[in-house]
Amino acid sequence: MNRLVKKIAMALVLVALSSSAWATTTVLTVNGMVCAFCAQGIEKRLSKLPATKAVFVDLKKKIVAVEAKDGQILDKAKLQAEVKDAGYDVVKIEDTPRSLAEIKGQP
Amino acid sequence: MKKILCNLLLNALVWLSPLAFAGPMGFKESYMSMGDFSTNWREGFVNYAFTSKDAIGSEAVYMRSDDKSLTRKAVGLTYTRLAKRWNMPEAQANIWLLGGVSALKGNDFQGTRTLFNPGIQLDYETTRSYLAATVRPYRAKGINHDYASVRAGFSFYEVSYDQVQPWFILEARRMRGLSEKTEVTPMLRVIHNRYFIEAGVSTDKQARLNFMYIF
Repeated sequence: MNRLVKKIAMALVLVALSSSAWATTTVLTVNGMVCAFCAQGIEKRLSKLPATKAVFVDLKKKIVAVEAKDGQILDKAKLQAEVKDAGYDVVKIEDTPRSLAEIKGQP
Repeated sequence: MKKILCNLLLNALVWLSPLAFAGPMGFKESYMSMGDFSTNWREGFVNYAFTSKDAIGSEAVYMRSDDKSLTRKAVGLTYTRLAKRWNMPEAQANIWLLGGVSALKGNDFQGTRTLFNPGIQLDYETTRSYLAATVRPYRAKGINHDYASVRAGFSFYEVSYDQVQPWFILEARRMRGLSEKTEVTPMLRVIHNRYFIEAGVSTDKQARLNFMYIF
């Protein structure tokens, strides 16, 4: 019985870990992003990528956060290329386990 | 009949061309429409960015002299090139090269003349300040309507990406052969991530409306 409980607990932990990995968000720090009207190209281009679930642009922090769809992986090179095609330069790119909602809510 | 159709087309493009205004092109694979409307100068244009630095499009311009004795209508093709962009952490600066060739009609000559309007625009912008200078010669045989403008402005406060941001913009511009005065126009600019609108009244009490939309 004890062994069964341990197995169930282990399975739950694995499921939790894997769904957290699916909810990966990539955060790009972007130079030149000074105007919402001009930066709309970033949002539009990144939103069209098949692995993108949602995009958040923060003009004050100069970041763009892209959340991947469940079970999908964002291609960092592609993200950088799309931002470049929108007319801006990516100076830093990193993955975070935080959701887009958590990033939005961060002061 | 052909002449009537041409005139109808010219007028339609001048008055009904897709409206909007701003940086002279959008992002790669986007369409941008722009409009600049006042009593003596009405301009509309739409272009398509086929690379992140190049756009082609069409424009229609109506010009009238201060004394209302001269009028011009031009419809033609444009090419816009982002020659250089500096993306900085807190600012962006650009050099734009503009090219245009149009069919020009006027009330003081017969037929159509070919109008060339190359140009250059320099701008610098932060989230709170804006500076721009544009020089655009409008030349045809026997005609010189060179255009120059400078703009400076500031935003009242910073906003997040999806909020509306109001700006104060002051523009001074001259149009050779149409006006001997420098037209000065204070304007309220409103920017959202979907649209860009400017409205004001010049020191000569002429209303002005600019707008721009990317789709």
